[in-house]
Amino acid sequence: MESRTSVPGEAAQLAALTRFLQDFCKTAELPSAAALPFEIALEEIFMNVVMHGSPAGRLARVDVSLVLRDDDLTMAVVDDGPAFDPLSLPAPDVNAALDARRVGGLGVYFVRQMMDAVSYAREGPRNQLRMSKRVMRANAAPAGTNPG
Amino acid sequence: MNSRIEKIDNVTLIVAQGRLDFSAAAAFQSQVEQVMAGAGGAGAAVVIDCEGLEYVSSAGLRVFLLAARNAQRAGLDFSVCALQHAVREVFELSGFSRVMAVHPDRATALKSATQKPA
Repeated sequence: MESRTSVPGEAAQLAALTRFLQDFCKTAELPSAAALPFEIALEEIFMNVVMHGSPAGRLARVDVSLVLRDDDLTMAVVDDGPAFDPLSLPAPDVNAALDARRVGGLGVYFVRQMMDAVSYAREGPRNQLRMSKRVMRANAAPAGTNPG
Repeated sequence: MNSRIEKIDNVTLIVAQGRLDFSAAAAFQSQVEQVMAGAGGAGAAVVIDCEGLEYVSSAGLRVFLLAARNAQRAGLDFSVCALQHAVREVFELSGFSRVMAVHPDRATALKSATQKPA
C-alpha cells in the first residue's frame, strides 16, 4: 500500500498532512498506537522545513510519501529547500534542570527515538528524510506466532 | 484542541482536550499564562489535567516547559496529571517527567496541591 501528497512548506498545511497520514493509517487498519510515532515525526520534520526550508521569497515544496510493505511503514519527507540534515543536530540534554531546558532539538530526538531507522540524503536540489518502523496491524497475528 | 478552567479552593485546573500540536500551541500557551497570572500568587496551585489530551509534539511540550518555569518564578505549585499513553511517552522521552510533577490522576494531583502549606 502506498500513498503520496505534496504541499507548500507553510505551517497552515500541517493539518492537511496530519489528515493524510491518519487516513492512510485508517485505511491500512493500523492501530492508533502505531500511527502516533509517524504523526510526531511528520509534524517535527515538516515544521523544521517550514521554519528553515523557505529562504526569503520562495516557499519550499514538500512531498510526503507513505509505503506499507509487510509490517514496515516507511515515510519519506522530501523538500526542495536549502541543504539541511536534521540528523546533524546535536541531541538535547534530556537530563538538564528546569532552568536549563530547551525545546530546540527535541523534535528530531523524538524521531530518532521513536523510529526503527532514519536516514537523510541530499539528492540533487532536494533534502530527503526517510523514516521507517515496524508496525503491528490491528487484524494481524502477533509477530512470531505461527497460526495452525 | 480546546481547554476549560476549573477552580477548586486554591487550585486552578486547566483541562486540556484534543491535539496539542504546533497549530494549537500558541493559543494554549496564552491561556496557560493568563491562568497563572490570575491563579492567586505564591502558595496557589495550577494543574494541567491531560486526561483528554491525545497528542503532544515538541511545540506542545514547550508550553508545559514555560508553564513550569513561570510557576517556579511565581512561587506557584505546578503539576500535570492523567497523561494518556501517547503523551506520557513524549514526557518520558524528553525527560520532562523528571523536571515537573506528574500525577497519575486528578485526585492525586488535587491531594498533593492542597496538602502543601499555603
